[in-house]
Amino acid sequence: MTDAIALLVVVPIVLALAPIAFGRLWNRTGWLAAVVAALAHLGLALVVASQVAATGRFTYAVGDYAPPFGIELVADGVSATLALLVSVVTLAVVIYARRAGPDSNGFYSGLLLLTAGISGVFVTGDLFNLYVFIEITGLATYALVATGRSPDAALSSLKYLLVGTIGASLYLLGVGYLYISTGTLNMADLAATIPEVGYDSPLVLTGFGLIVVGLAVKAALFPLHTWQPDAYADSPDSVTAYISALVSTAAAYALFRIIYAVFTPAFDAAAPFALDALVILAAVSVVVGSVLAVLQSDLKRMLAYSSVAQFGLIVAGFAVANATAVTGGLIHLVGHAIMKAGLFVGVGALAGVAGGRTVDDFAGIADRAPVTSAAFAVLAFALVGVPPAVGFAGKWHIVLGAVEGGRWGVAVVAVVSTLLTLAYFARVVERMYFREAPIDASADADDSTVGDNGATDGTLASDGGSEPSSDDAAGISTEAKVVVVVAAVGAVVLGLFATDLVAVFEPVLEVYFE
Amino acid sequence: MSEIDSLRPLVAVLLPALGILTIVASHRRPNVREGFTILTALATFGVVASLVPAALSGSPHVSRLGTFVPGVELTLRADPLGMIFALLASTLWLVTSFYSIGYMRGLDEHSQTRYFAAFAGSVGAALGVAFASNLVALYVFYELLTVATYPLVAHDESDEARAAGRKYLTYTFGGGVAVLAGTVLVFWTTGTVAFTPGGIAELATADPLVARAAFALLAGGFGVKAALIPVHSWLPDAMVAPTPVSGLLHAVAVVKSGVFGIARVVLDVFGPETVQQLGMGLPLAAVAAVTIVVSSIIALRQDNLKRRLAYSTISQLSYIVLGLGLLSPAALIGGLLHIPAHAFMKLTLFFCAGAIHVETHTDDISDMAGIGRRMPLTMVAFAVASLGMAGLPLLAGFVSKWYLLIGSINGGNAIFAVVLLVSGLLNIGYFWPIVYQAFFQTPEDSDAKPLIEFPIGGTRLAADGGERVDEAEEGGGDTTESDAPDSSRGETDADVPIDTASRVEPDVEPSESEGRVEIEARVEGEYAVDRNPSDHLGADAKGSDANEDDDDHAEAAHDADDHYAEAAHDADDHHDDHGHHHGGPPPSGWERRGFGEESTWFMLGPITAAVAGAVALGIAPRGMVFLALVQRVVADATGVVF
Repeated sequence: MTDAIALLVVVPIVLALAPIAFGRLWNRTGWLAAVVAALAHLGLALVVASQVAATGRFTYAVGDYAPPFGIELVADGVSATLALLVSVVTLAVVIYARRAGPDSNGFYSGLLLLTAGISGVFVTGDLFNLYVFIEITGLATYALVATGRSPDAALSSLKYLLVGTIGASLYLLGVGYLYISTGTLNMADLAATIPEVGYDSPLVLTGFGLIVVGLAVKAALFPLHTWQPDAYADSPDSVTAYISALVSTAAAYALFRIIYAVFTPAFDAAAPFALDALVILAAVSVVVGSVLAVLQSDLKRMLAYSSVAQFGLIVAGFAVANATAVTGGLIHLVGHAIMKAGLFVGVGALAGVAGGRTVDDFAGIADRAPVTSAAFAVLAFALVGVPPAVGFAGKWHIVLGAVEGGRWGVAVVAVVSTLLTLAYFARVVERMYFREAPIDASADADDSTVGDNGATDGTLASDGGSEPSSDDAAGISTEAKVVVVVAAVGAVVLGLFATDLVAVFEPVLEVYFE
Repeated sequence: MSEIDSLRPLVAVLLPALGILTIVASHRRPNVREGFTILTALATFGVVASLVPAALSGSPHVSRLGTFVPGVELTLRADPLGMIFALLASTLWLVTSFYSIGYMRGLDEHSQTRYFAAFAGSVGAALGVAFASNLVALYVFYELLTVATYPLVAHDESDEARAAGRKYLTYTFGGGVAVLAGTVLVFWTTGTVAFTPGGIAELATADPLVARAAFALLAGGFGVKAALIPVHSWLPDAMVAPTPVSGLLHAVAVVKSGVFGIARVVLDVFGPETVQQLGMGLPLAAVAAVTIVVSSIIALRQDNLKRRLAYSTISQLSYIVLGLGLLSPAALIGGLLHIPAHAFMKLTLFFCAGAIHVETHTDDISDMAGIGRRMPLTMVAFAVASLGMAGLPLLAGFVSKWYLLIGSINGGNAIFAVVLLVSGLLNIGYFWPIVYQAFFQTPEDSDAKPLIEFPIGGTRLAADGGERVDEAEEGGGDTTESDAPDSSRGETDADVPIDTASRVEPDVEPSESEGRVEIEARVEGEYAVDRNPSDHLGADAKGSDANEDDDDHAEAAHDADDHYAEAAHDADDHHDDHGHHHGGPPPSGWERRGFGEESTWFMLGPITAAVAGAVALGIAPRGMVFLALVQRVVADATGVVF
């Protein structure tokens, strides 16, 4: 029992007011508040995590109202890990946004509100409370997308608002059905009462269907993804990095909790078609998302469709109801957040140098921004699933779990997704490294290298740290460079320590799959 | 069998990684950078060599790095089979490092830091493949090897190189996907993926259908890098890479990581007995046999020297796979011994091709008549290595082939012995003309080689109009210099058809232009290949050279776009791999140079070292440590002690 778990939500909400309250006094208030909030969040998440590590799962009754009537917050291996992820991503994005903007106090308020909403999704143990946090997350995201000042951003935000609200409403409707049939909203309580009502009760089945579809909208599974590419492409780079890393992640996490903490594997045994449908939806999402990603020329849209595919993989892992596959889904959930955030920051940073963010704009960029390009390439191959990076660890568990569960279709899709992912990343990496830069930019670097034995050529390894001191490289802020490199290193290191991650998730899943 | 806990296998893998850092850090000072390359290669070789005695004595060094994913340890074990590959890769890396310096500087290549860094990375990954102690760890390094080699394939940054890079990634990642799927199946069936000499016991009792599927996926996946037909076509295209890359990676490290993977699967995952029970040995051997013969026949028709070597590699790699598929102890020994044997010989051949390219910018065999005068030592080494390829005694190729022959007859599959003998003849068929014309012909009196240049089934002179006088007089040069380069740049498998088609089809436009060029050539008293502006020509001849170039483009309308792109590339980058536009002998014929005066010792040294290795392996196979290692491996896997 520690208040830290409640403060994970409270601190960002309170600090979200600071930029509005004091913004007029000092322009930098917003950034400062965000940094303070991120650091405080990190500290709180560490306290929660250490508590979980010491004593295992613990719950917290908000306002001392005992569940099932009061709101319950739950911390276990999964939620503590994801809370830590929120802190790290928030910190990274705030650091990146210092230079990249959008430099307004309103942005930081929105960001902190979003942090609070996502943290809430990760720690709550109550279905209706989950809805509240999902809505906070959604509303903050709509506002953040609109901070991109272009008309397109406003349109995307509106589109997201409409689709997202429908998704949230479906979820709420589903919760309503469950409430009617069981009379409770607490997750643990629901898990106990739903079997009494019967898993084949139409109310329960309808509730499950509505909740899953609602969350699939939020997680942007094909064909419910249509809001997502626009929203990602038109928002400012910092916002894209943040929402790509965390917003869909929150929805997928909610899906995981609802399938296993509320409905439990027993539901799968009783009504197998429910998860079968989800498996098919997810597998289709992997394939179609990848194909659509290959067709994009705008890199942010490409990465957005890539998220559609990756969340397909994650949800497929969740829907193959065994511990191995779910572990894989959770590892990929964490890994994808880190890799995708790094990739979006990388695209934002490199686009500044390249003068555009289409695939062709990136031609020869590696010569002009070697460190960022190398980190981007590492992240790309990590997401492809090249071991030992974290992309492989997740995929391995998902494939293994699918084979164990006899879901051969998922196994094939997950294995082949390597090639599909490669299909859209290889062409980018190839242009970055093996194509001449556009004429105006190549004049300074390329032609001179022949004479002096290639002394200023592109460096391959990420850790070189020594780049040509051409003025072009000044286009990338140190902050952006640090964030991308840290993400790349993080993706590899996390892959090497995937076993520890598995060990953290294991006790949680053991309860579900005893 | 006891094991020694030690960090040395890990150090061997990490040293090249450390080398990458130092290479990148010193990118402003090429001499220091190359110093680091040599230093790293030397240190790596030292560490790997120090592991040999323990591996031979049966208590290998093991580095345990903890659990990678539950149930799978990330452990590096320097066992005998791994040592074969690791020792080979690290020895030849040292040799190739010197050669790389000579080659890259000789051509003033761009992006040398990227080149040397990626090279070190590739070798590090190859050592990881060698020492990996289970399928997952092997897969980790196998994929890293793919990634690390990609920059080397696409090094040239031309359209051709990028296309080759794409193809390379697609093929090898496709193979990787199959390997991953097979690995998952093995893990699911047996609960382990650790390599066990003689095979994982549970696989013998597993559901045969699943076991067969797993074997097919694993062998097929590794077969991509081993360039088994029909998944071989990335390899000839990858020849666009700098020659040291073709030499060390595409004849030794990368392709043999595929072969090595198959060896692990046959010997340490399934075990020869289980493979026999499952009936998977014969299909594997059959694929290998087809590959051996078909790729040798394709090699006959390649005019580009590196492409011919590439098809030769495809053929020779399948010797190893054949040995592994035949499963009898002698065949296994022959197959495994062919890993080092082929490496030394093929590396020599590639080094020679690279030296010729650097010194004379000649890539096409038809331009190499009389080149023995210009590059005596190189061509002698080439001759020796090509005889070894054919399997002549006293050379490395003989020993392994001998074991393979014994093995195939022992196993009751005499047909494979016939395949091996036919392949030997084909080897002579495509290597001998190169050697013969290099020493016994001059550019003036060289003639077309019947088996290689004439259409299969005899000539039909209707081909290019009446202007084609007797080829014997004009020399092979005039037909090939316009046709062959085009076709060799085209799709791999289409080579033979295109080659003959362009001769047989009565195509008015090209034949006219070619005829005109030919007339010009005779009027000026020189050959088209001689008009090399960078070597010797004045403004007048340059003009006609440009004309001829234009005609070339018109003729090759089917890939005109590529051509223009390449021409543009040629214009700003004169030292790429398209040297055949201005390769060939100077008008006065090849000048005569003495032994060792033909190139820098940065190139001649490695050539000599590699060919010496090939000879040593042939004369004293027991003196070289490889045979001992191979026998140990086979004894562990089959229980038969030689």
